[in-house]
Formats: sequence, structure tokens, C-alpha cells
Amino acid sequence: MSETSTDDASMSAGIDLSQFYQVFFEEAAENLDSMEQLLLNLDIESADDEELNAIFRCAHSIKGGSATFGFSDVAELTHQMETLLDKLRRHELSPTSAMVDVLLQSGDALRAQLARHQGSGGTVVDTSDLLVSIRAMVSGQAPSVTAAPAPAASAAPAPAPAPAPQPAPVVAPGMRELELVVGPLHDLALANNLVELFKEIVDLGTIEPLDGGQAADGMRRFKITTACSDNDLLDLFTFHVAREEVVLMPLSVGYGFHAGAPGAPPAEDADQDKGYGLFENAPGMPASTGEGAMASTPSASAVAKPAAPKAEKAPAGMESTTLRVSVEKVDQLINLVGELVITQAMLAQNSLSVDPSLFQQLSSGLADLERNTRDLQESVMSIRMIPMSMVFSRFPRMMRDLAAKLGKKVELVTQGESTELDKGLVEKITDPLTHLVRNSCDHGIEMPAERLAKGKPEQGTITLVASHQGGSIVIEVRDDGKGLNRGKLISKARERGIDAPDSMTDSEVWNLIFAPGFSTADVVTDVSGRGVGMDVVKRNITQLGGTVEIESAEGYGMKVSVRLPLTLAIMDGMSVGVGEEVYILPLSSVIESFQVTPETVKTVGGTGRLVEVRQEYMPVVELESIFNVPRQDPERVSAIMVVVEAEGGRVALMVDELLGQQQVVVKNLEANYRKVPDISGATIMGDGRVALILDIGSLVRRSRH
Amino acid sequence: MYSILAVDDSASMRQMVSFTLKNAGFNVVEAVDGQDAWEKAGQLNFDLVLTDQNMPRMDGISLTRKLRESPKFKVTPILILTTESSDQMKQAGRAAGATGWLVKPFDPAKLIEVIGKVIR
Repeated sequence: MSETSTDDASMSAGIDLSQFYQVFFEEAAENLDSMEQLLLNLDIESADDEELNAIFRCAHSIKGGSATFGFSDVAELTHQMETLLDKLRRHELSPTSAMVDVLLQSGDALRAQLARHQGSGGTVVDTSDLLVSIRAMVSGQAPSVTAAPAPAASAAPAPAPAPAPQPAPVVAPGMRELELVVGPLHDLALANNLVELFKEIVDLGTIEPLDGGQAADGMRRFKITTACSDNDLLDLFTFHVAREEVVLMPLSVGYGFHAGAPGAPPAEDADQDKGYGLFENAPGMPASTGEGAMASTPSASAVAKPAAPKAEKAPAGMESTTLRVSVEKVDQLINLVGELVITQAMLAQNSLSVDPSLFQQLSSGLADLERNTRDLQESVMSIRMIPMSMVFSRFPRMMRDLAAKLGKKVELVTQGESTELDKGLVEKITDPLTHLVRNSCDHGIEMPAERLAKGKPEQGTITLVASHQGGSIVIEVRDDGKGLNRGKLISKARERGIDAPDSMTDSEVWNLIFAPGFSTADVVTDVSGRGVGMDVVKRNITQLGGTVEIESAEGYGMKVSVRLPLTLAIMDGMSVGVGEEVYILPLSSVIESFQVTPETVKTVGGTGRLVEVRQEYMPVVELESIFNVPRQDPERVSAIMVVVEAEGGRVALMVDELLGQQQVVVKNLEANYRKVPDISGATIMGDGRVALILDIGSLVRRSRH
Repeated sequence: MYSILAVDDSASMRQMVSFTLKNAGFNVVEAVDGQDAWEKAGQLNFDLVLTDQNMPRMDGISLTRKLRESPKFKVTPILILTTESSDQMKQAGRAAGATGWLVKPFDPAKLIEVIGKVIR
């Protein structure tokens, strides 16, 4: 049915409506997103008129478009939503959380319907339960839908409530009003056979001419009021007229003139059945041609007066200000800029041997090139940067469903949504963050009764904060739940055969939850038991070059901080020399460096070596021996220690010399060669040599064993 | 050539209306809401205004009322596009001074048909 009507509509009046579909889909998606946001933010007790209006407008806009472009299933559902929302904004009904649930579910169903129309496949979305629920709410009945947050798009059979009364029944219940167009007919009398048909079969409903019996170009138009399906009607009609000569469409099509209105045609044209009208004596009517001359008289009096514009999103403004580009194109651009940066660095290095006083123009040209290259690189990188709100926006809905499922009351607070992060990272951080948020809701926040007993507010709070700190982005997931229990974690760890001495620091104990197979919940719920443990979260974040830290206060909640590099493609590095080789250390992990004498390095247990730094002993990692760096000069030894930190541990790396700091373009080693232990990637230096980037996390782990 | 101001907050509707009208030989200026339309109406002359009813910032009814207050648009045909064909809406349109209404969804041919009745 929906496909048929789409085909009908898509070719109306020789204009191919399908050319507007893409705009409609994008617009509908935007409207659905803002409707969801508005619904989630809606304060049920004291709903703001402007918010209710805004929600109404979203549904209204989708309905208008879907009806025009022939997506009748979308139009049907949005029409019901709009009816409900209209009653809400007129204060004929008060909003309830059940209504919000149904509207949210309807939004999901609309997304599925639209996705299907966009050709992504999928089964036909069954919205009959939603339609029934909304109708019941419109008529003021108790909601019949369970508050289950299951996606409405799944056609799960819900208990069917009592027959749903139609909202504002203009037509008798179950009856539909259709417009029937027949033709072109060689014999117009054939159309009268259809009228006879309705006289013979009383159950069919009623038929009346829309054109006053006057055929236009061999076409006849009728209004049909019926309870029969389109197919039943068409089958019957084919006894008299050919199938392809019959078009059935919903009779909402129409227009009208106000008699006497300006510009309205003479009265005989005013025909309400056509669904349009002109007002009588209204301005703009062609009848008032005498005054018509005035219309073209230029007038300077029309001065625009700002009518209290509200800060409202104007969807139209978006079209001209954004441009959709495929990610591949952007990545290619980034790669090219990366090469350019390397070339520029090479030129800069080579020019050092040139006397600037002799080649002044060359020098200033190179300086310009350097500055422009940096700017270009920053601009290009910013293309890939997207705000954290892209990640955060999925959580309010998830939290709502989750809290409902667990019977908890949770408020989600997000801060720093505008903080920008590389698109590649955003995609990869979403799953770990989702898990952390779920975890806080499931294990952290207590049941409402338990919270009240502890003197806490009944509603728990989960706070998501994103911020820039130096060259990293820090995302915090905080909750005001029960926090971690040291004793419980230690005994649990021992149960699992994990070594957990009592002397462990708190931070070490908290880190136990990242151990594989560790779960602190006494009962694994279907929320937390999704197959992804905290160990996977930790591993994923580490793979992104990030770190996770936990802070907890028992009874007051906990905070998980995820620290990530801003982008995976470029990094600030410190280059160090070992023998003839150059290695890059991520600058963010470098703490300090100092010269050592052989006496300060102590050997323990045969192979382990420690260095004393300000009364503190630190494991020493000799890069020379780890990477088997060949020595030309056996007399020379590494005499510089660089202290680096990762995963909560510090090690001192022994290097020959510190070469400098620079931005490096990270090249994936695995993609170009293979995985190498202790190496996270490679880069090309200014002189064209390849330098390996050290995986500090891996070096720290190595020192622990 | 007749010039038409097409006002709708929905980009897809605006495109469709605009395309249809241009196809039929009209000159079309688009506005994204009543406020935008009001500003454009202050700068340009139009032979017809075709406006959506429900829009942010300024709705079609308010736009109609404001246009009618201006001598320049005292007799210009103004058609309101609406999804509600209720009498209440029609009366609101009438009171504001609209020339007529057209119920959404409409097909492009019907739009041209209605416009043909008011622009001659």
C-alpha cells in the first residue's frame, strides 16, 4: 500500500517528487532527533509551552512532508502523534511519562519506516500497537502500553486494548474518505457505472461526484467514504473500468478560497470539497481588480520589525553552511598534508646548512612554508574533529530505558559537549563509554529505597564530562552511587585467583575491576552481562593510546577518567637517540629526564635493574638491549634516563641522547609491516629516516614481569 | 513574469513547491519562516504569497496579518498551506486576511490549479 501510493505521488503532474526525497529524509531525521531531545528534556510536571510547541512542530513537519511525498505509513503515525501533541500544547491533556514513552517509541518506529523507504531494507514496521496506544491517550484513556523500553519497531504483539476510538471522528469510525479519479475515459458514462456499484453494494459506502458531474479532459473525480480496503475497491471497479484508469488517494487533498478575500476568484470557484477555499471579501481577490492596481504601487512603509525572534534552530540555515564529504576524501587530504609536513620538515633541516645571509629569500620562503604548513595541517585536522555531543547524545535515551528496566531513578548530566575529538576516536570510544555508563547505572547507583535510607536523594546522578587537558581529551564518567568496596574487591580477586595482597594501594585495588573475568555485581543482570567486561573497555582505550583511571569513595560514588589523545594521526613526540637509531616517545608520557652515573643504577635479582630517583626506586628499561641496537663504539653507554609514565606505572628509559621535540605524523606499522612488540607505530623524520614510536604502556608492563 | 513568495520551514516542502512553481513559469523567492518572509516582503514585490501555517519564529497567520497591515500587500493574494482543514483554522486564516487555503498534502498540479485561480 505504501509503495503503491509512493509511486502514485512520485509522478504527480509530471513532476518527479523522488528528487526531493533525500532532503525530506535528512530533514525528517533532524526533526526526529530534536523531537527525541525535547521529549527527554521535557519536565512532565511543568511542561513549557514553547517546548510542547516545538515537539508538535517536529511531528507536524514530518507529517506534512511524508504525506506530500507519499510515505503514507509515516504520515499515518505522525498524524496520530500530532493529534496527541496538539492536545498537550492546548492543555486539553496533561503530559504523562507513559505518553513520552509512546512518543519516543513512535520516534523509533518512524526511523525504521524512513530507513526502509530509503532502501536500507528491513521488514515492514508494524505500528498498529503504537497507533492504538496513542489513540487511547488522545481520548483520555489510561495508557495501554507497558513502559517496556523495548524498541517499538520490533513487532512484538502487545496486549490489544479495547477498540480505539478515532480522535475527533469527522468520519464514522473505521470509515475512510478517499478521492477517486477515473480516466481518461472514451465513454464518460462508464464512470456512472461506478456510482451504480455503490448503490448495489450497500456495504461499500457512499460515493459522490467532486466535479459536479462535469468531466475535465475525460477525467471524473469522486469522493468515496468507505470501510473497504483499496484493493477490494479496485477489484470491484475493474468490472467497469480498466485498472490503470483508476487512481485512489486519501481525500485530504484540497484547498479553498475565502469568499470575498483579496485575490480569491469569483464565488462559483469556491468549492470546499476540493479542500481549498477563498474567503469572501478577503483582500487579494481578483474580483477586487480596482484595488489591484495598488498592489503594484511600491510602498516604503513595509519596514521589517523584528518580532522577538527566539533562539530556535532554523533547519534551513544548515543547507548552505555544511557540506557532506566522504570520510575517505578527508583521510586522503590528511595523508597528503602529512606528507607535506614531512617534506617541509626535510626542507627545514636541509636549509640549516645554508647561510641565511646569502639566501635570505630562500630562508624567509621556508619560514612562510613552515607557518602555512602548520596552519594547513591544523585546519585539515579540524575537519575530522567532531563535538563530543555526537557521543553524549545517545546516552539520555539509553539511560532512561536502562533506569526504567532496573527500577532506578537516574538523572544524566552532561558537560563539555562542545569539546572536539577526532572522528575516528569518537567512533571507537562510543562503545567503551557506553559500557562505563551502563556500569555506573547498573552497579553504582543504588535502588531508590536504598538511597533514601542512606540519606541520599532518591534520584541518582551520572555525570559525563568532556574537557581538553593539554594535548589530550579527558572524559569522566561520575556517579553518586555506592562506590567501590575495597574488601569486597580484594576477596573477589582472590576468588578468581588474582594475586591481591592487602598491601595494595587503593588505586591498585580499583584497577582490579579491569582484570579479565572480574565482575563485582553479586547478580549479573542482563544489563551488565553483555559479554563486554571492564577488561575489554580498558584494552580498547589503551589501544587508542589512552588511559583509564578510577577514583572512588565508598558510599559517595566513583569517577572513571578516560584520557585520550586528541587525534590518532598526529602526535607530539620526543625523539631520542640510541646508538644509530632514533626512537619517538609520546611527549604526553614523558615526565622528566636526567643524566645518570653507572653507580646510581642498582642491579637486583640478577637481571632487574633499578635507579634511585629522589629516594624512590624505579625500574630501568634499556632500549639498547630490548631492540638489540648495534653499537659501533662499545665504549659508549647510555647515560641519560627518561622517566615515562603509562597505565599508572613509571619506568626509566636509558637512552644515549635527547634529540628534540616535534610533531610527528603517525603511520600505522601493522598496516604497512606487522605488529612489533613495544612499538605503537612509525613516523618519517625530517631527514627522511624512519623512526619507530615506542609503546610506553607495553614497556611499563614489561618492567612489571 | 509573476513573482511568488514561498514560505515553509521544511526544506523539502520548500524545494517541492519552488520547483513546481518554477516549472510552471513563476519567479519564486523562498523564505524559511514568517520572520524571514516578512523581511523579504519588505525588500521585494510579490504577486502572490504562499505560506505554511505552522512555523517557528513567526507562523503563517501572523505573517498574513502583518502583510495585510502593510499597504504594499493589502490586496496581494495570500494562500495558507495547512495540514488542518478545520473550520477553526480557516477562520483564523480568514480573520488574518488570507485569500484562501490549500490543504497539505497536495499534488503539484493542484497547487498550479489554485494559483491559476488567483493570478490572472
